[in-house]
Amino acid sequence: MTVDELRETLARCDRDGLKVSVEGGKTLSGMGPALPRADVSLITTGLSAILAHEYHDLTCSAQSGVRVAQLNAALGKHGQFIPIDVPLRKKATIGGSLAAGWPGPRRHFYGRARDFVIGSQVALADGTLANAGGMVVKNVSGYDMSKLYIGSFGTLAVFTHLNFKTLPVPKKRRALIAPLPEATRPRAIAQIASLAVTPAAAFCVEGFGKNVDGADDVDGRVLLYFEGTEELLERATLDTRSALGKAGVPETTIVDTGAAESFDRTLDACIANKRGRSITYRLFGPPGTAEERAERLRDACNRRELFTDVLLDVMNGDVFVRASERDARRFADKIEACHIELRELEPRCAIVASDAAVRAPFEPWGAVPPAIEKMRAMKARFDPHGTLNPGRFIGGI
Amino acid sequence: MLKQRLIDALGADAVKTEAEDLAVYAFDAYSQGVVPSAVVLPASTREVAAAVKIAKDCGEPIIPRGAGTGLCGGAIPARGGVVFSFARMNRVLEVDVRNRRARVQPGLINLDLSKRVASDGLFYAPDPSSQKVSTIGGNIGTNAGGPHCLSYGTTVNHILELEIVDENGDVVTTSVDDIGYDLTGLLVGSEGTLAVVTSAWVRLLRQPETVRVWLAAFDDVNAASAAVTGIIGAGIIPTALEMMDHVMLPAIEAAFHAGYPTDAAAVLLIESAGFEDEMNLHESEIGRIMKANGATTWRAAKSEAERDALWAGRKGALGATGRIAPNYYIQDVVVPRTKLPQALQAVEAACGSRGIIAGNVFHAGDGNLHPLLMYDRGDSKQVAAVIEAGNEILQAAVDLGGTISGEHGIGYEKRDTLTRIFSTDDLATMARVREVFDPKRVLNPEKIFPAGVGCAEVK
Repeated sequence: MTVDELRETLARCDRDGLKVSVEGGKTLSGMGPALPRADVSLITTGLSAILAHEYHDLTCSAQSGVRVAQLNAALGKHGQFIPIDVPLRKKATIGGSLAAGWPGPRRHFYGRARDFVIGSQVALADGTLANAGGMVVKNVSGYDMSKLYIGSFGTLAVFTHLNFKTLPVPKKRRALIAPLPEATRPRAIAQIASLAVTPAAAFCVEGFGKNVDGADDVDGRVLLYFEGTEELLERATLDTRSALGKAGVPETTIVDTGAAESFDRTLDACIANKRGRSITYRLFGPPGTAEERAERLRDACNRRELFTDVLLDVMNGDVFVRASERDARRFADKIEACHIELRELEPRCAIVASDAAVRAPFEPWGAVPPAIEKMRAMKARFDPHGTLNPGRFIGGI
Repeated sequence: MLKQRLIDALGADAVKTEAEDLAVYAFDAYSQGVVPSAVVLPASTREVAAAVKIAKDCGEPIIPRGAGTGLCGGAIPARGGVVFSFARMNRVLEVDVRNRRARVQPGLINLDLSKRVASDGLFYAPDPSSQKVSTIGGNIGTNAGGPHCLSYGTTVNHILELEIVDENGDVVTTSVDDIGYDLTGLLVGSEGTLAVVTSAWVRLLRQPETVRVWLAAFDDVNAASAAVTGIIGAGIIPTALEMMDHVMLPAIEAAFHAGYPTDAAAVLLIESAGFEDEMNLHESEIGRIMKANGATTWRAAKSEAERDALWAGRKGALGATGRIAPNYYIQDVVVPRTKLPQALQAVEAACGSRGIIAGNVFHAGDGNLHPLLMYDRGDSKQVAAVIEAGNEILQAAVDLGGTISGEHGIGYEKRDTLTRIFSTDDLATMARVREVFDPKRVLNPEKIFPAGVGCAEVK
């Protein structure tokens, strides 16, 4: 599909009252409700050209259907990258990843993926093409419209291309992995948060089996990812071992070759779905309250005798909890009461992974934000006929 | 009626309506607007909301104002109205050290936040040159940058939550962690045209272990530009990478005794922050690049005092222009970094042909130029020539693939030039946002959007 074909399709659908399902790599299709009605699937993966890489300027431009891994591989030829940390990045498109607003675990270190977008072009519901920003790294000329489209879940417009600023690839990456017995967890989290050399990402994980690296016989583990110079990583290793040692963590394994892949596996675990018998919830909040929030969600699942896997982003405070059972029937028996209790405890926890049929009975996004009326008005103004992903996003927008 | 209602709601001390009090609020650091009908100094969100309702009822435009240091007429009352000063909402409400964030009121002076959290080993990164006086609220309005945004990003990267009062006087909060549209990201940089910000949670960063500042001097401005490209091309992103040219160096040195060479064609001020080992690597690599590009001087600040002196010169540069001419006009444009030599040539051509002295002090690492055009306001021919030259520089930046503002904003000054970078459809799309937040255009009217163009006409 070309950009012209995309805009013409949208214009026709908008005129004829057809509802459009906007799809990229479909890697985050476990989020949100299924479209009540979808007449046309608009799949953006045909927009697959990398339009420019001005490597001396640290900028690039790519069509929205380019895969995240594909773009970073191309940028890597000139020693650059963009920290778009999404699960399944070989399949995920840049347009879909940004439209879904997936917040990466390295955002405390590099900034959010949205902060790397310096310009964009979108097709509006009526097929109009609209540009925002430009191809320079600093720009305050008018409203930053890209910010509005990023995280809008394809309900306001469809990205056709995005311009980014890029970063130099770090000289080296290292993963440090250690078992994390339950009793040591709070102390370990506190130690990690105060490390002098800040990890690019840090997770505490319970369960998730082989989705996440670690010894098979140890359930809890801590994973830290460092990026920087050789010297910095050596210092980080010494500091981390000492800090975790103080917290009672027995031993730390260094992973240099394969650190990037280990990081990717951890990202993928955030949406690892057990077909027909699991739901994964995500809850944002300050890092200082992450352990407490994780505990509340875990206990609620345990009370319903559901298996629980927990992934806690130490640096940003995100909590992922997967509730599951051995078979679909037992899961179905237990999940409804569990879901109600989770929402009572944490009204803002959102479902990010599950089969459509499993999550169908539940409102997946959680409590609406305080500015929901502004968001509804925005949807009405940008998509008055309800053409783009209608009803897919929070509050039915 | 307006005056009495405002006094009833906020108290007499918080409302100014005398001509001599109002006159000063017709200005910002760039231009003059219309004397407002009233100025209010609310002390709380509740008072802001009450004043917004009254102003709207009375058909008066609402103009939020920080410290008035803006350089594009963003805070001037273009057609009168009620100016909202946040001088009494200037506190740090909460510091959350564990989560490295703070909740602040909009009238808080930028630098005061970093001073407040310094003892906790933290700082607030956005640092516009006006940071000693400009406010966080004003910085949010313009998405202010500063020398260090090369590495740390502009204001928008550091705003976590906003509390706003909308055009109806309703209080709404937005957060970057909200599921839904990123209204926080959209509001930052909207120049007070969408809402009035009444508080913000901002992100704080940990102070770096080591900060190094280096100075490199060049005989040729193109060589300095090439050195900038060399640093970025080597995969090094310093925390700041600033350039000053031969026009500005003697004036700054005379004013601040910063330690700059006064006979160089250009000086680069480079800062890097991080760990000792990293800084040693940066020092040797950047030094190699400077020498390879013909630097005539290359030295590191040897003490904190020397580092501060080097920065004081750069941050005070605008004040030093008084030694060159009675007045200056500062332009703010951005070009791709590799186009800096052509952009500087365009500045020279635009000014040289009109007999205007132009100095350059700018964020080279971002490609963000700030040509300073010297003139005498009393000479109408010079004023006309400066306006023409500024316009030509703006167009040159656009022609080089750049943009018309990197950090000062569009405000009143540049609104008619927005059409140089955006199509009618692009602007109409922006206007949809304005319609959602402010359909009657009572919030800071006549800003950003081209003159005489309402939403319907943009379409």
